[in-house]
Amino acid sequence: MLGILGKLLISASFVTSIGAMVFYYISANKDEDRTLKLGNWLFTAKTTFLVIASGILIYLIFQHQFQYYYVFNYTSLDLTPRYLFSAFYGGQEGSFMLWILFSALFGFGLMKWTRAPYKAPVLFFLTLTQVFLLSMLLGWDIFGLKLGASPFRTIAEEMPNAPFLQANPDFVPSDGSGLNDLLKSPWMMIHPPVLFIGFAMMTIPYCFAMAALWKQQYHKWIGPALPWTLSANVALLTAIFLGGYWAYVTLSFGGYWAWDPVENASLVPWLIGTAGIHTMIIQRKSAIAQKSSILFAILAYVAVVYETFLTRSGILGSSSVHSFVDLGLYNQLLAFMLVVTLVGLGLFFWRYKELPSPEKESSILSREFMTVTGAMMLLILGLVIILGTSSPILGRLFVENPTPPEISFYNTWSMPIAMIMALLTVIGQYLFWNKHDAESLASALINPLLVTSAVTILSVIFGDVRDLYYMVYLFCGFFAIVGNAWIMIKLAMKNPKVIGGSLTHVGFGLLLVGILASSAYNEPLVDQKTANYNAAVERGEVTDEQGFKVTQKEEMLLLNLNEPIMIDNRYMVTYEGYELDNSVRRGQQTYKILFEPIDGGKPFYMNPEVYPMLTSSTQENIQWSVDPDVRTGLMSDIYMYVGGSSYVEQQNEWVKKNAEMMQNVASQDTAGIQKDSVNVQSFNMNPGQSIDVGNYTIRFVNYVQTDSTELPPNTTIGVRAEIELIHPASNRVITLDPLFAVYSENGQSYIFSPPAFASDFDLEFQFTEINPQENSIELTVTGLEEEYEPEWVLVVADEKPFISVVWTGTFILMIGFSISIFRHWGREKEKNSD
Amino acid sequence: MKPKLIIGIVAIVGFTSLLMYNFGESISTYTTFEGAGERSTAHIPGTWDDEKEAEFSLETKRFTFYMKDEDGVSKKVVYSKPKPNNFEQADQLVVIGEMRGDTFYANEMLMKCPSKYNDTDPGQFTEAVEG
Repeated sequence: MLGILGKLLISASFVTSIGAMVFYYISANKDEDRTLKLGNWLFTAKTTFLVIASGILIYLIFQHQFQYYYVFNYTSLDLTPRYLFSAFYGGQEGSFMLWILFSALFGFGLMKWTRAPYKAPVLFFLTLTQVFLLSMLLGWDIFGLKLGASPFRTIAEEMPNAPFLQANPDFVPSDGSGLNDLLKSPWMMIHPPVLFIGFAMMTIPYCFAMAALWKQQYHKWIGPALPWTLSANVALLTAIFLGGYWAYVTLSFGGYWAWDPVENASLVPWLIGTAGIHTMIIQRKSAIAQKSSILFAILAYVAVVYETFLTRSGILGSSSVHSFVDLGLYNQLLAFMLVVTLVGLGLFFWRYKELPSPEKESSILSREFMTVTGAMMLLILGLVIILGTSSPILGRLFVENPTPPEISFYNTWSMPIAMIMALLTVIGQYLFWNKHDAESLASALINPLLVTSAVTILSVIFGDVRDLYYMVYLFCGFFAIVGNAWIMIKLAMKNPKVIGGSLTHVGFGLLLVGILASSAYNEPLVDQKTANYNAAVERGEVTDEQGFKVTQKEEMLLLNLNEPIMIDNRYMVTYEGYELDNSVRRGQQTYKILFEPIDGGKPFYMNPEVYPMLTSSTQENIQWSVDPDVRTGLMSDIYMYVGGSSYVEQQNEWVKKNAEMMQNVASQDTAGIQKDSVNVQSFNMNPGQSIDVGNYTIRFVNYVQTDSTELPPNTTIGVRAEIELIHPASNRVITLDPLFAVYSENGQSYIFSPPAFASDFDLEFQFTEINPQENSIELTVTGLEEEYEPEWVLVVADEKPFISVVWTGTFILMIGFSISIFRHWGREKEKNSD
Repeated sequence: MKPKLIIGIVAIVGFTSLLMYNFGESISTYTTFEGAGERSTAHIPGTWDDEKEAEFSLETKRFTFYMKDEDGVSKKVVYSKPKPNNFEQADQLVVIGEMRGDTFYANEMLMKCPSKYNDTDPGQFTEAVEG
């Protein structure tokens, strides 16, 4: 019932949207107020229908109505309310709904604050985009032509041919298939909504630019459009940051950015939007750059729609780890993209001749030239990234069946562009606030350049930077920081309200330096032996059994329980066991890994986690997932995840054995399994260490002095080991002290290690070896039934320098943009109240 | 034509051709073990050959398994990282690396999974009915 109501509401929302669009069109064409009001009325009705429909979907999710495919596919009974709520936008259909909801919300803002002549056309274009987005949710079937995929479709509608449904049409699954474990994260609550706020807001500059072209009013639109564009940028930047941070702390790919198409989908609109902000600011000051402002505003939204098309049409297929499922929306998405692009660019070129051009060209040393060049660089960077992301389509120009480009493609191109941008920010800012000729500019830049050079040299020395290109890059980054900070301080003394721009550029500089430091100087934490091995691999000295050169380095760390290992000559790292905890996730192990800095710093623990993915594990196979631990520091982060452990292996074997046993039972094969008795075993132990074998705990307490009368003649070494044999079941502790002695006879050395007996348990202990370097002994035990299985954990640990600088740079960018929002919005409000 | 315009056009053409050239170089085509040749970053799609042993060795710290490429040829693959978590579930693997002799050394591996995020296996429903 509710599902049908939901479908009807979405259809009603779609129809009223079209109505609103028509009235806005008439109003814009005739400058009528009456039709504008009708449009607003329909817009409100549309929004109301959609809000109710969303409410119904959330209600169905909370009521576990698994007959609905969306509810079945993204939720399950065990989800907590907050993840049930985030499941609303966890799938493609729901995320469209959320996007339109935000877009509608901002529509009311536009209704309130936008003035004639832009009001009606702006709302027309906004509604146009909403009509397209709503059409994705319709689920109409017009003579076999499918329009949209409804979030309210039932399982029967989704899979009409499934045999179990033909047998029982009213079948309702007892539980849903659940939300992907990786999405069960607090970040899931916040990241997608912020992203869709950004996407929805990025529509607004497009609408204003189109309105300006329509009404042939090319200047005033930037007044209201600028604060909206700035806000869209802050929202997108926040979303990018949240996504990057989420990936960094919960996924095991080891970084905050991987140039994945879905990540690029939010970066490119941000870059082009930022380009638009630059030209709008210049246009406001000096009445040039009208053309580029309009063009950037159009392209920023085209980028949003194009990237939506790429990630949601199924075209990326295997090239992205998290593209959406193909819902058969390819044609609709293509139509959406083509309409937005062709109408946008078509109107732009239609009016192109009319668009005002600057009377005289600006000189190179002018704020106009610098800022517009900077904006162009942002656009070029955006286009390069679009090209890379489009490899499944554009790659066909070169090869059949193209793969995504190598990561180096993005890095090779973005680095020099970023360096040019960094230099432009400083020169641009100097010219923005003061007129300069070449000479005065040079003298103004002397001090910042000196400071930059000093900082660069220091960081090259202390950071051991050997790559010349990196040195130049660092210089550019530091120049952006120092130069812009210099201006910012001067401005802040006069008028703190105007520091937004220079502060943003400081953030950009920090970001550049942080990105290089954290990615190019990322060091795997390994022990000395592995480090030597890796160095040999790097020199090309290692060959494998078949005589081929080994190129793969070892970047893992094997830690045995309570056996400290020296890492990187800086830390003693000890695995102290794991804790099983069912409170957060069933079967979750939290590993305790102690880091003791050998320079006497404060010891700390890393606690990476491993947990079974319940939604995709079966009785024959547990699928494990990892949750890395990140220790954030001012200078560097330590990042660690578990690649395997004895516990995980045991569980896997147990499950496998269980599955085999089931098969054995089925085939009536009841042959008993012969257990091998492991008669003699040797253990290496340090003083104080204990190991668990079968029913016993064996502890090597310490060395003890021995009485010389018990030793053979001519003994050079004679020592005993105090051993505790603990049998928890009977609560008994037996202390033994086996002897180890080296004596010489006839010029030859002999070892004397008589067995010590624990007769109660029929065990025999021998102290068979001593390793003074490692301060360990070898203990040989005879008579144990169980084989000793050491507890181990395999971790991948990285040290990432200055990730904190990346975050700081991002935060400063956000703050800088926000200061600018207040400045430009404050001026807009004054105009509104006039 | 104005000299500035010519310089502009030359710059744009130069930049674009360089960009496209580099783009063309940095993408490759999905191939097979046989087609991998000398390339150091061959992308080979295939499926895990689960009849042969797959194991992570604690000594060499390498994960070794056999993969069948699209021609059905099964070859040994050595991966220098821990066994990926969703390895067994993957219905398609893409290994990226180079072929040396009869062994493929993968530096990267992508898994395409029938995950909950993407789609549902209708088989689950039959289970639910029986249960």
